Amino acid sequence: MTAVTMGTPQATTDRKVPTGASGAAGRLWRASPLTVLALVLATILSFFPFYWMIVIASRTSDTANQWPPAFVPGGRLGENIQRVLSNDNANIVKGLMNSLIAAGTITFTTVLLGSLAGFAFAKLRFRGKNVLLLVILATMMVPVQLGVLPLYILMAKLGWLNDIKSIIVPFLVSGFGIFMMRQYASQAVPDELIEAARVDGCSTLRIYWHVVVPALRPAAAVLGLLTFMEQWNQFFWPFVVLADQNNPTVQISLKLLNQAYFTDLSQVFAGTLVATVPLFVLFVLFARQIIGGIMEGAVKA
Amino acid sequence: MSLDLSTAPSRGPRTHHRAAPPRATSRWRRQLTRFDIKASPYLYVLPFFLLFAVFGLYPMVYTAWIALTDRSPLNMTINFIGADNFVELWHDHQFWTAVQNTLGIFVLSTVPQLLLALLLANALNRKMRGLGFFRMAIAIPIITSTAVVGLVFGFVFARDFGLVNWLLEQVGINKIDWRANRLPAWGAISAMVDWRWTGYNALIYLAAMQSIPRDMYEAAAIDGASRRRQFWTITIPLLRPTIIFTVIISTIGGLQLFAEPLMFDNSPRALSGGTQQQFQTVTMYLVQTMNERLRYGYAGAIALALFVLIVIISLINYALIRRISSDK
Amino acid sequence: MRVTMRGRPLVALTATTIAVLGMAACGGNDDDSGGSSSNEPITLTVDIFGDQGFGYESLYEEYKKTHPNITIQERGKGLGLGDYNTRLTQQITAGGAGAGDIVALEEGTITQFYAQADKFVDLAKYGANDLKNNFLPWKWEQGAPPALKGKVLGLGTDVGGMALCYRRDLFQQAGLPTDREAVGQLWPTWEKFIETGKTFASKVKDKKFVDSATNFYNVVLMQYAGAGTGYTYYDKDNNLVLDSNPDVKKAFDLTTQMIAAGLSNNLASFSDEWNAGFKNGTFATIACPAWMTGVIKGQAGDAAAGKWDIAKAPGEGGNWGGSFLAVPTSSKHPKEAAELVKFLTSPQGQIAAFKALGNLPSSPQALQDPAVSGATNDYFNNAPVGQIFAAGATSLKPVYLGPKNQAVRSEVENALRSVEQGNADPAKAWADAVAKGTAAGK
Repeated sequence: MTAVTMGTPQATTDRKVPTGASGAAGRLWRASPLTVLALVLATILSFFPFYWMIVIASRTSDTANQWPPAFVPGGRLGENIQRVLSNDNANIVKGLMNSLIAAGTITFTTVLLGSLAGFAFAKLRFRGKNVLLLVILATMMVPVQLGVLPLYILMAKLGWLNDIKSIIVPFLVSGFGIFMMRQYASQAVPDELIEAARVDGCSTLRIYWHVVVPALRPAAAVLGLLTFMEQWNQFFWPFVVLADQNNPTVQISLKLLNQAYFTDLSQVFAGTLVATVPLFVLFVLFARQIIGGIMEGAVKA
Repeated sequence: MSLDLSTAPSRGPRTHHRAAPPRATSRWRRQLTRFDIKASPYLYVLPFFLLFAVFGLYPMVYTAWIALTDRSPLNMTINFIGADNFVELWHDHQFWTAVQNTLGIFVLSTVPQLLLALLLANALNRKMRGLGFFRMAIAIPIITSTAVVGLVFGFVFARDFGLVNWLLEQVGINKIDWRANRLPAWGAISAMVDWRWTGYNALIYLAAMQSIPRDMYEAAAIDGASRRRQFWTITIPLLRPTIIFTVIISTIGGLQLFAEPLMFDNSPRALSGGTQQQFQTVTMYLVQTMNERLRYGYAGAIALALFVLIVIISLINYALIRRISSDK
Repeated sequence: MRVTMRGRPLVALTATTIAVLGMAACGGNDDDSGGSSSNEPITLTVDIFGDQGFGYESLYEEYKKTHPNITIQERGKGLGLGDYNTRLTQQITAGGAGAGDIVALEEGTITQFYAQADKFVDLAKYGANDLKNNFLPWKWEQGAPPALKGKVLGLGTDVGGMALCYRRDLFQQAGLPTDREAVGQLWPTWEKFIETGKTFASKVKDKKFVDSATNFYNVVLMQYAGAGTGYTYYDKDNNLVLDSNPDVKKAFDLTTQMIAAGLSNNLASFSDEWNAGFKNGTFATIACPAWMTGVIKGQAGDAAAGKWDIAKAPGEGGNWGGSFLAVPTSSKHPKEAAELVKFLTSPQGQIAAFKALGNLPSSPQALQDPAVSGATNDYFNNAPVGQIFAAGATSLKPVYLGPKNQAVRSEVENALRSVEQGNADPAKAWADAVAKGTAAGK
């Protein structure tokens, strides 16, 4: 709070010149041309790979290795996508469904359980809190690669091999999610609000629902987005446990698109494009949460 | 400070006169409230530990135990060999080169990445035309698949026909063989890492910035604080928990860096990280030891050493960040 | 079998359970191998790898006609060997859980499974020994090495017979002959091959003679080892002999000479840049196992059709790659699986696979079959591929590969690449290769 009082006196002249109807408060949130330029640049950089993906996906497969490179999309997009969808080796439709189910479930529980636990760690008092939090942090620091074998044996014993359960259940809650929610909640949820709710006789769960959840919304959207993308892009573990090609995830399908001794890039990229569309839709949905929140704020200001 | 109710539920009198309204059922309700306050936190954190106990603990204990053995799929038996793996690791030149590479790439990528993410988030946290579009644009690298990243950057940093080398030639600089030399390789990999993860961190910062009350900025502006000053005196201190979060997460992720250097190489020998280990990270060495050299025990020792390294670097970073933020 | 029955009706599941129980009750003494010994429906899972698979589709159909109770499910088409083998290692190490009833093992990685031979069914128990003459002797021995004392781990599928692919147009540009017979006569030995390369380099400045040092090295090594010690990085008792085997050093030195002559295009094989090299036609020759023809055709594309041709490789024959089929002990139907392995690896089976994909048979009978020996490839200027590759395969001497062959080979290849990159002189590179290769083989 002390930060607010640190304004310098000589700058007072600045606020004597209100411009237009919006005034100082409005100007405060307006972006400078330099900012806009930087953002435009960042946007181009961000979009280039997507553009490139469409270029390759719409041409023949040798385009990627061509020199000078092709920068304009060709006319074979529909044909290439058709090839992907009818490739019964890759089973991409089933792969998309499985990935949607797995990533969707994990995202839901990660956000829910992460925000509950994060709230507990940030705002509730209980014995062993710090130790437990440190344990969670420590679990994230252990490299997981070697754990694949024992986990695989465990899955075999449970009879979960080739079952989508094996790629969902072990990942339902993440240390990352808890830690993120804890850090965010400790900043965004004022203690006074929780206290007031307690005084009103609210149960902890009600406090979570009515006080914490609204405050965590933007961060929950970010966590949801990140979790979904991470799960969507998982390859190695699903590949190991889902050996049955008739029951793949989308990344396994994409791997199986190779049709010859060389990689058929136009098909791979068309497949990637197909696999990106659901992501894009979800991205827009999640992003609206993040963007929507700030818009309200901006209007109020 | 604020939650009197939850500090000491056992000290009865202080708690219930605030929480429970005087009613006939008050005794029952009081007990329920007490139970709620006492048990809720544990219930909320329980799912993680439950799942961890079933699916996480065993693999982790396995990793630790196997490091003390000579386990390999090529051996019929498993022999306990004590600290032999660790002694070997201490003298393993290849391991220490991998540590150097990991730390080098980590510093080269993470510092600019987090700073850039902060600035981007700050830029996005204002009013402008097309704001929603820009926000989405910055974050969109998150949804690219690894295949695309590998291919695009393979093209950007190719030796003979690469985009960057072509640009260098235009300004009269010689082509660089990005994979053959250490520093160019580190730089190129850092560029890949930053491309993928800057938007991700910017998004996390942005979400946190939105919870900072606007009137704080407005009050500061009225006091004449410049934007830069507001950024350092309001945004940064209030973002502290989030900054700590991203630094710790970046440390954990950065020191386990694997996918980007692997894609950067894109040959069947990719796990070697270059012909002379120019860019082999510790995790790549771990996987190489496990899957190519089939020495599970030794790989376990590498995993534990990496764990210790991550703990140490995380502690150092935590201390640094705390210092920086509280100085302001 | 739980694995493969997923998603099928409960009835089928129950039927299988009964079948399994029934078999257990019979004690497995049912040795009648003609037709199907049991009429209960079962599913056999076949795990293979490779971008095009093994070309068995028509064979499955044929097998089902004589064995109506057996359903065959193939998995793995499209997978690279690296991913496939990592998963298979996990499965076998976990006692075979999740592995197929039949699994494919590649030449360079089967050596790793010799040490886990107890996790595989002995195919000799199902009459494999009677089929010994169906395979080239060295191929048979790779599947049933003496160290396993008579156990037959796997039966051979294909071999990677060796030839040399070259660009006719670039040869013409360099004033070299373009006819495949005449080209073959240019290089009776690898030394002569390098001499030819120098002639080429003096005439054509903007192209290189060889794609990469590593491809060149592997071919030369397999030949030298075949003619010399009979092994490469490991001797036949699995001792690491990387630094003492003269064949390895000879192949290494020849490769560094080739690099020093400026003949290599300095491309990492199987990388994107290597792929681009085909497209842009930046090199004139490549060491060519049978399966490489598919790579060239795919990467160079239609634009280069007819520009490529195939000649005899320098030296005496050569082999690179090729696979085996084996049955893990985890299979619930080892007998039926073994029967299917015998069928797929029979001369007729290998001919069918050759017709489907061009995989060169490992069976002498199949190699002599007109369907194989008379085959030509129109992409390569109608080269008589059957003859050229079969010649390479039959004249090859066996080479023993040790347990961590792949890991050691990677390090030697890295050292050679560092010479190409100009980061090391041959002496330092050899020291690196020995040091890192020794660590890798530990």
